[in-house]
Amino acid sequence: MTQAVTQREEHFEELREIAAEVLEIEPEEITDTSLFAEDHEADSLRAIEILARIEKKYKVDIPQSELPKMVNLTAVYEIVKQHANWQD
Amino acid sequence: MNRRVVITGLGPVSSIGIGAREFSAALRAGRSGISPIASFDAAGFPHYMAGEVPAFDPKSILQRISPDAWGRTSQFAASAARLAVEDSGIDPTELSAARAGSSIGTTGGESQVLERLTGDSLTVGFAGVDRELARQVPASRLAVAVNRELGLTGEAITLSTACSASNYALGYAYDQIHTGDLDYMIAGGADSVGRWSHAGFYRLGALAEKACAPFDRDRSGIITGEGGAALFLESLESATARGARVYAEVLGYGLNCDANHMVAPDPVSIAQCMRLAHRNAGIKADEVDYICAHGTGTPANDAVEAKAAVEVFGERPPPISSIKSMLGHTMGAASGFSAIASVLGIAESFIPPTINFRNPDPQIPDIDPVPNVAREMTVNIAQVNGFAFGGNNAITIFGRYS
Repeated sequence: MTQAVTQREEHFEELREIAAEVLEIEPEEITDTSLFAEDHEADSLRAIEILARIEKKYKVDIPQSELPKMVNLTAVYEIVKQHANWQD
Repeated sequence: MNRRVVITGLGPVSSIGIGAREFSAALRAGRSGISPIASFDAAGFPHYMAGEVPAFDPKSILQRISPDAWGRTSQFAASAARLAVEDSGIDPTELSAARAGSSIGTTGGESQVLERLTGDSLTVGFAGVDRELARQVPASRLAVAVNRELGLTGEAITLSTACSASNYALGYAYDQIHTGDLDYMIAGGADSVGRWSHAGFYRLGALAEKACAPFDRDRSGIITGEGGAALFLESLESATARGARVYAEVLGYGLNCDANHMVAPDPVSIAQCMRLAHRNAGIKADEVDYICAHGTGTPANDAVEAKAAVEVFGERPPPISSIKSMLGHTMGAASGFSAIASVLGIAESFIPPTINFRNPDPQIPDIDPVPNVAREMTVNIAQVNGFAFGGNNAITIFGRYS
């Protein structure tokens, strides 16, 4: 159990790092539920960039149709988890 | 000076035909220029089709400049220009002694050269890159290539206003002749298929898998294309004096830039641009017989373009077809090819079709996309739409000269 929680947290931090880099803000500013578009001024191009970086880092294919759902960090995590078969 | 400006020469170097005659026949036949990508290794890309011009042989067209010293896009520009001048029937020696120049539009400039240099710099480092190749990079060389090839001494300007750049170039050339600053202009655009644009548009979710189907219910995006489009412009007096064949008259153009969104087109500013173009051309909307659409085949563009057309023309806009269905999106050359197609349509009384059309889009019921088959009809006035990222809209208007 402890192992699983750690893994989950690690993934969250990695994704937060990616999003922060693309959105050009500090990782601390992105909470698990803050909205990329409304709270961090992301547009569709930034969203695509986040998706692309995730695909590259985890060597996973995420359909573009998932993009509209990737509104915050928690949503991103759930989608990546599903497509990368994370057992967190 | 307020000179009337006419088009007397056409030089398309395209995936569906090289030279005015071949290009016109292909438009009438609704030919597709889309094929599996050969200019770079597309392995690993889920989509691998493009509108390349494998038949392009610059050595057989160019007379002065050596293809070895110029990138592919400059070769397209200069070859298209050479063909346009040949088509105009003007004596090349007379032309090079006259007040003549060029304006060429582009999106990616020498994109293939840049890609090669980037690859080399990653494998062997900056110290190892080919200096001669680096010399070919600047996009400003597109118009320079045209002037060098034709020995022109007037202005050589390259406009990098992306996917509406040829219309900008045409507008600029029109101004030069209309005001009397120059007597002859080559105007058009050029771009090359490359990995970066293919990858970029794929990543944007804007790339169709096999075919570009503008205005279709199930349209899924663009196919990248390439080529060079050039038109030869001169004053009406000069054309008349030398007994030249006049394809059409340039009636005017309209430009605006809303800078509203990087990629999403804005129907309000597009409608404004149409009205601006009509006003500058001295025509009314109901005089337009045909619209050569920007028609990229993305869900967003075609819906917005149709909406703007209905806003300006009312419930039944004139037939509006997209030759991108045949050529793919030739980027900076796109509105140049559309201008050539429209001018041919005026001269030869036909309008090109939108191929790959299967199902009407219920969201845009008022649109007649000239589905799949070219139409024989009199075209007195044609409107050429060009829209680019960032809300860079440019529209040209051509009319029958009689």
